Amino acid sequence: MAVSANLLAVPVAAPLLAAAFILLFARWGGRRRIRQQIALTSLALCLNLAAAAILFQATAGRGERFVLQLGDWSAPFGITFYGDGLSATLLLLTAIVALAVYPFAVATIDYHRARMGFHPLYLFLLMGVNGAFLSGDLFNLYVFFEVLLMASFVLLTIGAQPAQTNSGIRYVVLNLLASTIFLVAAGVAYGTLGTLNMAQIAERLPVASPAVQTVFAGLLLVSFGSKAPSLPLFFWLPSSYHTPPPAVTALFGGLLTKVGIYTLFRSFTLFFPELLVSWQPVLLTISGATMLVGALGALAQPGIRRVLSFHIISHVGFMLMGLAVAQSGNRLAVGFGLGAAVIYLCHHMIIKTALIMAGGAVELHMGSDRLVSIGGLVTRQPLLAFLFFMSAISLAGVPPFSGFVSKLSLLQITLDTRHWVVSGVSLFASLLTMINMMRLWRESFWGEYNRPSRVPVRILQSRIRQRLMLTPVAVLVLLSLALGIWGGPAITLSMRVAQQALDRQAYIEAVSPSSRISTADADLHLISSGTYLLVSPVAKSGTAAHAPPISRGSVR
Amino acid sequence: MISILLAIAVGSLFASGTYLILRRGQIKLILGLALLSHGVNLLLFGSGRLTEGRPPIFLDKNEYAETIASNLPADPLPQALILTAIVISFGITAFVIVLVNRRHTVTQTDYVHGEYVPLLREGDPFDFSDSSDSVQYDWLAYEIDEVYDSEDLLPGIPAMPVSERDESTAMEEDSYQWP
Repeated sequence: MAVSANLLAVPVAAPLLAAAFILLFARWGGRRRIRQQIALTSLALCLNLAAAAILFQATAGRGERFVLQLGDWSAPFGITFYGDGLSATLLLLTAIVALAVYPFAVATIDYHRARMGFHPLYLFLLMGVNGAFLSGDLFNLYVFFEVLLMASFVLLTIGAQPAQTNSGIRYVVLNLLASTIFLVAAGVAYGTLGTLNMAQIAERLPVASPAVQTVFAGLLLVSFGSKAPSLPLFFWLPSSYHTPPPAVTALFGGLLTKVGIYTLFRSFTLFFPELLVSWQPVLLTISGATMLVGALGALAQPGIRRVLSFHIISHVGFMLMGLAVAQSGNRLAVGFGLGAAVIYLCHHMIIKTALIMAGGAVELHMGSDRLVSIGGLVTRQPLLAFLFFMSAISLAGVPPFSGFVSKLSLLQITLDTRHWVVSGVSLFASLLTMINMMRLWRESFWGEYNRPSRVPVRILQSRIRQRLMLTPVAVLVLLSLALGIWGGPAITLSMRVAQQALDRQAYIEAVSPSSRISTADADLHLISSGTYLLVSPVAKSGTAAHAPPISRGSVR
Repeated sequence: MISILLAIAVGSLFASGTYLILRRGQIKLILGLALLSHGVNLLLFGSGRLTEGRPPIFLDKNEYAETIASNLPADPLPQALILTAIVISFGITAFVIVLVNRRHTVTQTDYVHGEYVPLLREGDPFDFSDSSDSVQYDWLAYEIDEVYDSEDLLPGIPAMPVSERDESTAMEEDSYQWP
């Protein structure tokens, strides 16, 4: 089946159109309107999942690449969407996570929040995340970042309880700072390289001066590392993720930090493959310290969601470790590290969402998630206890689940490339993860039944809502189990994805074929008929390149 | 010369923005964010190279070859980027102002606190039995408020004023069947 590149627009267009439709026609009114909103949102989520699955099958399965130049404006000037295996993998997982969290959100989001626009915001967040995965242009990446940040700001603070507004300020300010730094990086790229298109940046960066490379890479590392979040810049995450309703936390934990990880993967493999070698000590130090601090911080947290949000940080360290060894091969393959990081990313998105949802269900049953004051839920909610236990041991990396496969492959590449310290640190962090998960399990499910809230939450006495909350958790746990059992094919697939992501030349040729790009150091381009000319008046420093001619038509 | 002035302007905008963000007051925070976004906009402006008296767009297609040969055109792209960045920062500033206003209403504070860190207490750092951070779970109160519609169960949570109650906020949880 031939897949058209127009399919790349669906993951952005479907949520956008559905959200716009909701805001226009189903915004005001009572509960009937909210039911219509729920129906429309589910429709958009299913469309998104279908498009992402087709794209994944075509890119990761058959090795194709898709480029969509919106409105037939060719590469450096129009909006470019680029989809390869890495993008499609993340799109598919995003679609799965968004569709899985949605029933949980429908069951637990109260009427007031739904009336304030929870459902369209959910779609806008999904649209921003999908657009960031597909964008082939630095400035569009910034715009999609802002779209998803804006939606996440409102989702985080919707309801405006005191704790939510407190955490909202920290979250907003630190994320805006990261966006500002990213915009500075875009300005530096345009000023020195004369382009914002990612393929052209990749083409021109090797001839730029080392100072430009270092500044650009440093700015990108700081801004994406702050969104990821890695070690010195992670403080916005654990101080804000425990305040919104659990459905919002599950969505954020599954999707938001992965955008930072994806952009780190993309920019470092596309722009600075040689920096992956020369900056390897820095990246390995950051990753080791991130996983250690995340796991140690989780040990000191008093509540379920606080523990889980520190574990997000710890796992970001694991993925960064895979990125740091991406360029060094072992006896299996070059790029094994990136493949291992990709499969870790899949595992993390699936199981972290499941675990946060299960923790949120515990919190809703108990009225609190403080570990000292709750306990004994295993007799009242055996299914929930079972699912929580399964996802907890999957997160810790116990064999039949996906955590084992992903951690084993990461450990293998790190040991093969003889980074003994960081592999030891990762083992220690895994042990701490296990301790933390067992602590969560023991405190919330074992012991005397203890329910601190004196007010019964009637939301949980409805059987339909119980099912809506627990079914997605069960589905995600089964997915994790499948990823662990069919670990061999999954590794093969993720290796193919990693090879595709590491192939810079193919990216450059796919987005803007070199015949159309002129990097000659001349102020004047030959004028051919039917071609407008636009020469950027950059200085004749010899390092700066020039904007190429726009050619209309001949769009892939 | 003008580029040196621009560099100084960008640097001072960034410096004062950072300084204001590091203050505790919420209004200073907003001003700092605004100054930072202005600094970035000026930086983007400088990335297009500062030229004088050159047209960015040519209306006459037949003449533009010699126009270019004699006089390089100005680059219009940074202005477009700045326009987008201005719109985005405008929206975000509006949101932050609303958030700060709401926070002031809800918590009656003007300061941006750090987070409560249990490890900094005296005694056993792993003993959380006396930490009084139950206020952090007050989002649940909203839920309960909706289900029971009784204010006396929830001291401290303001009830919705009568003027805002309409039929769509009427509590009909019992008859409501979830999909």
